[in-house]
Amino acid sequence: MLILTRRPGERVVIGDEILVTVMGVSGHTVRLGISAPQGVAIYREEIWLAVKEENRAAAAAADVDALPTAPPQAPAPGAVEDSSDAPADHASSDAA
Amino acid sequence: MSVTFESVRFGTVEIQPEDVTEFPFGLIGLGGSRYALLDRNPGSGFLWLHSVDDPALALPVVNPHQFFADFTLEIEPEDRERTGITDPSAGRLYVTVHATPDPLDITVNLRAPIVICDGRGYQVLNTNERAPLRAPLFTLQAQPAPGRSQPVDAA
Repeated sequence: MLILTRRPGERVVIGDEILVTVMGVSGHTVRLGISAPQGVAIYREEIWLAVKEENRAAAAAADVDALPTAPPQAPAPGAVEDSSDAPADHASSDAA
Repeated sequence: MSVTFESVRFGTVEIQPEDVTEFPFGLIGLGGSRYALLDRNPGSGFLWLHSVDDPALALPVVNPHQFFADFTLEIEPEDRERTGITDPSAGRLYVTVHATPDPLDITVNLRAPIVICDGRGYQVLNTNERAPLRAPLFTLQAQPAPGRSQPVDAA
């Protein structure tokens, strides 16, 4: 990894078209200004990572059988306890 | 002239050329530049966004409006500039589905919807704070009445 020291107002150029400007430093926070060609997507890393993970998780769905054909049905009111296949820890039907 | 491609899930798939959607920037972290929407579970609300070029690459998606009445998309300014989409309601909208064995654990990504507009598709970031990365798709509704999910302190 290339490591550079820059002061506020100074820039780094990546290729011929991407310009990163150090806008300011305050405590542990650095403000960066980035100008790049329109086709270059710029994300905060944590958001990019999170969306990437969700996309991969979605793409891991094996086949059609992995998807329900209808919304899950709640057990009939009163028949809460012994419904073995419906996890009661999820959402609405809190028995107590 | 129809377009055919191979799918590990569905075998040989035949679609019309106009059903191929270009994704100039691919999907975030997955890439892919051409996808098609396949309706292999008719009536279920689930579609498959399938890569035309990679037989193994496909994601289940749903139309968020069908499951989340109050869903709104506010596209990040950078994404608006990059995609040229100013009015997402002019296009078709989908969100990726994270399928799980228990339907109640299925979540969808409302944070990064896919907008398809004029034959082009883009995955954009939704700045709406009430659009989580993992929104439960189903909630059990034992009794008709209480509004969905959020337990706003009603009492």
